[in-house]
Amino acid sequence: MENFSDAAKSDCESLLHRFQRTDSVRYEEFSAIWRDMKFSTVFYGKMAANEKRFFSREILAIASHYFLPPYSFQIRVGSLYLLYGLYNTQLCSPKEKIRIALKDWDEVLRFQEDVTSAQHYDAAYIMRRLFLDKAFYFCAMPEMLCYRMGKRQHKHPICEEFRDRPARVKDLVNLETLEEVLNVHEHYHKMKCAISASASQPDSSLSLIQQDLVPQLKDVVLDFHNWQEKRTKRVKQSVKTNSEEDNDADAGQGSSQQDESSRRAQLLASIKSKSYGQLVEVSKSRRHRQTEMESSGSGSDQGSAQAGCGGRKRKTPPSLKARIAKEVCSKVTPDVEAVELKEEATPLSTPWRLSIITEKDEELEKDYLIFVEGVWSESSRGGKKNLKS
Amino acid sequence: MATSTDVGDLDVAKISVPTYEYKGVNTKVFHVGSFGKLWGEKLNPDYFSLQENAANSEEAEDAAFAEEVGISADVLEEVKFVCSLDTLRCHPENESPDTEVVGPNPSLQTLRVQKRKQDYRETLTIDKTCRSNIYASEMECVTERKRPADPEAMVAEGEIILSINIVYPVIFKRFRKHRQHQTMRVLGSQKLTELRDSICCVSDLQVSGEFSNMPDLAPEHINKDHYKSAFFFFEGVFYNDMRYPECRDLSQTILDWAQNHYTHDKLQAAKMEEATFNDLKIKIGFPYLYCHQGDCEHIIIITDIRVAHRDDCLDKTLYPVITKKHWVQTRKCSVCNMYIPRKRWVTSKDCFAPMDPCFFCDKCFRMLHYDTHGNKLGEFLAYPYVDPGTFN
Repeated sequence: MENFSDAAKSDCESLLHRFQRTDSVRYEEFSAIWRDMKFSTVFYGKMAANEKRFFSREILAIASHYFLPPYSFQIRVGSLYLLYGLYNTQLCSPKEKIRIALKDWDEVLRFQEDVTSAQHYDAAYIMRRLFLDKAFYFCAMPEMLCYRMGKRQHKHPICEEFRDRPARVKDLVNLETLEEVLNVHEHYHKMKCAISASASQPDSSLSLIQQDLVPQLKDVVLDFHNWQEKRTKRVKQSVKTNSEEDNDADAGQGSSQQDESSRRAQLLASIKSKSYGQLVEVSKSRRHRQTEMESSGSGSDQGSAQAGCGGRKRKTPPSLKARIAKEVCSKVTPDVEAVELKEEATPLSTPWRLSIITEKDEELEKDYLIFVEGVWSESSRGGKKNLKS
Repeated sequence: MATSTDVGDLDVAKISVPTYEYKGVNTKVFHVGSFGKLWGEKLNPDYFSLQENAANSEEAEDAAFAEEVGISADVLEEVKFVCSLDTLRCHPENESPDTEVVGPNPSLQTLRVQKRKQDYRETLTIDKTCRSNIYASEMECVTERKRPADPEAMVAEGEIILSINIVYPVIFKRFRKHRQHQTMRVLGSQKLTELRDSICCVSDLQVSGEFSNMPDLAPEHINKDHYKSAFFFFEGVFYNDMRYPECRDLSQTILDWAQNHYTHDKLQAAKMEEATFNDLKIKIGFPYLYCHQGDCEHIIIITDIRVAHRDDCLDKTLYPVITKKHWVQTRKCSVCNMYIPRKRWVTSKDCFAPMDPCFFCDKCFRMLHYDTHGNKLGEFLAYPYVDPGTFN
C-alpha cells in the first residue's frame, strides 16, 4: 500500500492543475476534466474490503487538504468538487467520510459564505449536498493521531502553485523580517561610523539610503494592509447594496454604475501600462471573477469594461451563470435584462486587490519595493552599497 | 465580576478547540465535553442528525436551498442537472465495468501502482485475500449502521465518539510499528470503568502459581477475580477503580513517591467510576497509561474524537465497540500439534520437553508427565497457561 498515497496525491494534483488552467470555478469544467481523466477509475483494482476502505479514507484525506487555506479560492472550489466526486464514486459501503476538524470549521463557513455571495450556485449546491448526505465526520483533528506508533506518517508539503496570493505582502514583511531589517540597518550604520572620521556620525558621502528605513517600511506595509482591508469591505458593501437595489431596479443606478465601471476601466488601463511589470502578479485565485465578468458582460453593452481588460481576454465559454442569466432574461423584458446584467457584473467586475490600485498606492508599492530591494541586496551582498536612495 | 466570567467563557472556547502541540503528533490539552458542545453549537443540526433521510426531504431541502441563495426553480433545476452524479461517470451508461480489473495503459498514477500489483498477482498460482484482512474488515463492519431495537438505547444526537488504541503491555519491537492490540470506540457519556471492563488482557485471565505436584488442584479463579484494582492515568490524574471493597488505591505509592521526586505538576487521584469521558481533559494522540494487576501496564492512546455519525453503531448498549484487534498466532500443543483447547499448560525446566518453555494441552500434558495413578514423573515446573490468541 506504501506508494498508493503518493500516487493518489499526484493524481489529485494533476487534476487540480488542469482545473486551475481553465481559470474557472464552474463544475462543468471540472466534470469535463474528471471524465477526461477517467478519475472514477482511481478506485478500481482488486483489493480486500478493508484495503478499499483504507484507500478511500486516504484519498479523501489528501483531497480535503486542498479544501482549506492557504490554497487559493479556485483550488478550494476544485477540491470541493474533487471531494464530491471521490465521495460519490468510492466503491466501499457504507461510504468513507471526509474528516473536518473543529479548528478548520470557521474557514469552511467563511468559504461557504464566499461561494454564496459570489453566486457560484453550483459550488454552493454541491457543498450543501455533501452536508446533507452526511459526508463529513466532525472531528477534533483532521487525522487520527497515534503518537507515531501506527502506520507510516505522511508529510503533506504545501503545493506552492495552488497557494493563495493576496497575503503575499504580509508574508514578505512580517515582524521578524522588520526586526531583521532593523538589525541590518543598525549594523550598516555602525559600519559606516567605523570607517568615517567621527565615531557618532557617518561621513555624509556615505549616506546613500534613507535613515528612517524601518519605520517607513512599516508604515508603507500598514498603509497597504489598511487599504486592502478597506477595499474588501467596500466590495462586500457594494454587493450588499446591489442586492438591495435589485428589487426596485432603478435606471439611474445603472448609468452611474456604468460611469463607475468605465472610469475604473480607464484607470486600470493607464495603471497597467505603467506598473504591471513590477507589481505582484494578479492572484490567480481571483481571475475567475474577471473571467466571469467578461463572459457575463459579453451579453450586455459594456464595451468599455471589456476594453479595460482587453489585454487579458480569454477564450472562456460563457459561464453557467451567464447562461442562466440569459435564459432567465430571455423570458423577461430586455430593459430589466440590461439592468440585471450590469448589476451582476459590477460587484464581480471588481478585480482583486492587487490588480487595481490608485495612483497613491502605486507610489507606495513602488517605494516599498525599492526599500525592500535595497535592504535585501544590502544584506545579501554583505554591505555592498545600493545606490537606489 | 461579569467581565471575569466572560474571560472565563472565552478561555473555555479557546481551550476546547483542539490544536496541535506538535504537528501531526498530538494536540494540546482540551476538555472533551466542551469540545463536543462546541461542535453542537456550531453545526446545523441537519448536518449530524442521526435520522434516516425521509423520502420527500430532498425536494424540501432543494427548495430551502433555492430560497437561501435566492434563485428560481428553473435555475435550481439547471444547477441540479449540471451537478448531477451522472457527470462523474466515466463509462457509457449501459455498461457496468468490472471494478476489480485495471484496464491496459492507465493514465492515473494510482492505477499504475494498482496495475503493477495486478500483474504481479497474475503470476501467482493461488490468489486469495489474506485471511487477516477479511477478519479485520469483518471486525470493522460488524457494528456499522446498527440500530437498537429499543429506541431508548439510541445514541443521543451530537454524542461524541472517542477512538482509543490499547497497546500491548510489553511493546515488542516488531509490534511497535504496526499493531495496537485493540482499538475501541467509546461514547463521551460513558464511564471510564466501561472501558476498563472491555479491555481484554491475558494477565486478567491468568492463574498464578506452580502446580506440577497437584495439577487437579489448580484453582479455577482467575486473576481478575483476585486483584480488581486498576487505574487510568490521564493528564496528571490517576483514575482508580474503587468499585469493589477489595480494590486498593494503586496510585497511592506513585503519589507518595511523586511528592519527593516529581515537581512539575501536582498529581491527583480520582475515582474511575465517577468520571465519564466527557469530564476528561486530554490530549489526542498522547500516550497515557492503563495499569491493572498491579504491574501490567498498557499504553493507551486516544486517536480520535468526533461527533457521532448516522453510519455509526447507534446502539448505546453495544459500546464500547471493538473495531480492531490484533490477530495473534495461537500456540499449538507440542505433542499433538493441535490448537490447544481450553485447558492448557506451559512447562519449564522440563526433562521431557524439546524446548523451554513448552506448551501442552491438558490431555497430552497428563499423559506425558504423570503415570496412570497421577504421580508426577521426572522434574518439571508446570503453570496453567492462557493463550493471547484466546481473544481472537
